[in-house]
Amino acid sequence: MGELFRDTYRYRELIWALAQKELRVRYKRSVLGFLWALLNPALMMLVLTLVFGTLMRFSIDHYAVFLLSMLLPWTFFSQCLAYSVESIVGNGELLKKVKVARLVFPIASVVSNIINFLLSLVPLMLLIVLMRFPLHWTWFYLPVPMLGLFLFTLGASFLFATINVFYRDVSHIVQIILQAWFYFSPIIYSLDFVPAKYHWLFRLNPLLYVLNGFRLSIYYGIMPSLPSIGLTMVCSLVSLLVGYTVFRRYEKLFVYYV
Amino acid sequence: MLCDSHTIEFQNVVQRFRRIRERPDTLREIFAKIVRHKRQLQMFEAVKQVSFVISKGETVGLIGRNGSGKSTILKIVAGVYTPSEGEVKVEGTVAPLIELGAGFHHELTGRENILLNGLLLGLTKREVQEREESIIEFAELGDFIDSPVKQYSSGMYMRLAFSVATAVDPDILIIDEILGVGDTGFQAKCFDRIEGFQRAGKTILFVAHSMDVVRKLCDRALLLRAGRLVEDGPTDMVISRYEEILGHRMPEPAQK
Repeated sequence: MGELFRDTYRYRELIWALAQKELRVRYKRSVLGFLWALLNPALMMLVLTLVFGTLMRFSIDHYAVFLLSMLLPWTFFSQCLAYSVESIVGNGELLKKVKVARLVFPIASVVSNIINFLLSLVPLMLLIVLMRFPLHWTWFYLPVPMLGLFLFTLGASFLFATINVFYRDVSHIVQIILQAWFYFSPIIYSLDFVPAKYHWLFRLNPLLYVLNGFRLSIYYGIMPSLPSIGLTMVCSLVSLLVGYTVFRRYEKLFVYYV
Repeated sequence: MLCDSHTIEFQNVVQRFRRIRERPDTLREIFAKIVRHKRQLQMFEAVKQVSFVISKGETVGLIGRNGSGKSTILKIVAGVYTPSEGEVKVEGTVAPLIELGAGFHHELTGRENILLNGLLLGLTKREVQEREESIIEFAELGDFIDSPVKQYSSGMYMRLAFSVATAVDPDILIIDEILGVGDTGFQAKCFDRIEGFQRAGKTILFVAHSMDVVRKLCDRALLLRAGRLVEDGPTDMVISRYEEILGHRMPEPAQK
């Protein structure tokens, strides 16, 4: 684990350059460029609010804020995974020619998506102002679920990028896992809609605590309970530890399989 | 045994690869394998028991036919491959000129690629910025430096890649078949730069199929045949041995 932090610091310039490259390439040759990072969540919010808030009439006040408070971190997680699962295989030609620290690729993927995520908070802020929704003091707590989210995602990225080197099925499977994960997380709905006898099932979801942290502090304006904060950190650190250990164990073999 | 003046030392190095033959790539294929109870794992040795030492400041040419293991040896020196057996010692920084432009991204401009590639080759951002002007000048790209490299001609692309890689100023330079870069004028510049490296006492290890280039640059050559080191000595002697093999049209012994 110490190596992870040391190497991240050591290669920070390379990681940053790779992350910038990813963002540049993503928005190059599009008229609106970086604005898409803002427009994407705004448009998605519009569609989902229309469907669930207006047509299906979920009885949730300020449904848009309720939804976005969890949807934005979720979108970060799912997009990030979709990108980083390919981060080693996609750079295979490079790995075969130059000796370069392999961990820079998944990390750069996550960093570029963090930038995107932070940009996507702008439309949320705008919405809150426009809807005259209260800006709760609990926003101060946000750095905690954010850190948890980033570390959890980094761990998952390491894990899936590694498996994808050996079994390319993973990039397909990830899409399905993400779909299922999305509907089994109380993102578009509230856990109150689910009969209490099934709640234990939802609590097995390691991302639930992180996502809840976002919704509690942005929408409800209450601090999560201490055990919930503890679980946020534990889930994230376990994810990072598992992902990074697997990555470290197999990274020497990557060059022969990409 | 590990002498200070040796920058590169190989001792009984073996590099094995899985021969890609029905390698299970997807789960479906793995299940098929498990059901059939058959393992298709075949190994082959690209480099077999190779030993040599190269001292600081030497320029050594690796010669041999296609598939004789030259590029594999370069990649072991570059640290891309970890040998299956044997010991390798490489002292000093290594810059690979292997297949130029591997780290270029087509959508990025020349200038953006200089930074990215420089960082990939181990420079810091400041070092890249210090060298940027001389890299651009050497590559003779003019205004094109701020256009995406996908619009470059193949010559421009190669010139930029050569220019970045040599700007790294490594202790050991590894060159794989790249002296066909650009037109005659630019080739002359490349040779000048390589000779500059020689005068600066750098170690150079390179692969070329043109014996004229090998004669021109190297004091010493290694001849490889089917992964084995068969000759090691003064350039002229090794080249005549190589030509002897070629002249007899001895087929490359089949690999196991």
